[in-house]
Amino acid sequence: MKRISIDPITRLEGHGKIEIFLDDDGRVANCYFQVPELRGFEKFVEGMPIEEVPRVVSRICGV
Amino acid sequence: MAKLKLASYWAAACGGCDVAILDVHEKILDIAAAADIVFWPIATDFKYSDVEAMPDADIDVTLFHGAIRNSENEHLARLLRAKSKILVAFGSCAHIGGIPGLANLFSREDILKRVYLETPSTVNPEKITPDPRTAVPEGEITIPVFHDAVRPLNQVVEVDYYVPGCPPTPAQIWNVVQAIVSGQLPEKGSVVGASEKTQCDECTRKKQEKKISGFKRIATVQPDPDTCFLEQGFLCMGPVTRGGCDTRCQLSGVGCRGCYGPPPGVLDQGAKALSAITSVIESKEEADVQRIVDQIPDVLRSFNRFAIPASLITRKVL
Repeated sequence: MKRISIDPITRLEGHGKIEIFLDDDGRVANCYFQVPELRGFEKFVEGMPIEEVPRVVSRICGV
Repeated sequence: MAKLKLASYWAAACGGCDVAILDVHEKILDIAAAADIVFWPIATDFKYSDVEAMPDADIDVTLFHGAIRNSENEHLARLLRAKSKILVAFGSCAHIGGIPGLANLFSREDILKRVYLETPSTVNPEKITPDPRTAVPEGEITIPVFHDAVRPLNQVVEVDYYVPGCPPTPAQIWNVVQAIVSGQLPEKGSVVGASEKTQCDECTRKKQEKKISGFKRIATVQPDPDTCFLEQGFLCMGPVTRGGCDTRCQLSGVGCRGCYGPPPGVLDQGAKALSAITSVIESKEEADVQRIVDQIPDVLRSFNRFAIPASLITRKVL
């Protein structure tokens, strides 16, 4: 089975890649979109004073 | 003169550094006239395989933003180091760990558990957490390994220059670009695109004598717009932060949180903050000092907002 990797996906904010599998006739059999990044804001802002949170979560995406 | 080959890459980052580069506005045309972009995922369609195919030291300058959070970040740091004559740690994350470095106060397992199993908006009945290798009917697909801790770029590869800031200001980015193009970069290992002074030296708020009799929060008290935050009892990292950003937070009505990193001669920004700020507490009585210190909101994440991975202890020992 032929495989095409698009790594990285470009011209957008964030990290991503796409794996495409082709069947013997060259048609797309399946494809997987993957997000290979995690920073963990959900955890590290827990318990933070509320007025500080906007200054931190604005760094989730700066685009 | 041959055009420079320039690359810009984001590891564990938000893209704000890339946007800050674009915020030089029409000067981007001058950059394009002086340099060819050979890799810049946010703006151009070069792939990792294109970088791998380059000869070593083929890129003149790589602006590397983002921290080293996972195996892909580390791979790209090593790859771009090999392919670049000059590697610049660009922005707080690459310089000192940045906001992603706050994760070093928690274990890898606690982060994965919170994100994939516990948050109220998560629906994950099969309790799936990320696996570096996943078998699928067509073969195997992979994602990077999530490391135990976040590291700044210089803990992974040799770094030639540091540009601080979250993000660096466009004016400072332009200064750095001009230094690169004219070949007038200072000694290797230098911090560029910033000043040699502290935030306080450059802050225009009125200062008298710093004596803190109690700490306040902007969530509950309105600060005076013209007076030093610390003198009013609001936390500000100005005394222990390198200048160069035109004190943009202080001018916006909030105290500095230290994104430009420690000033010259300071190794550990958080430890210096603890020493500098607590030393101006107006009391000699131990119980009184303790009462005032207890009012500092979230000491650990306030004094070490951007620099935990670059601190002497680098992370919470779990």
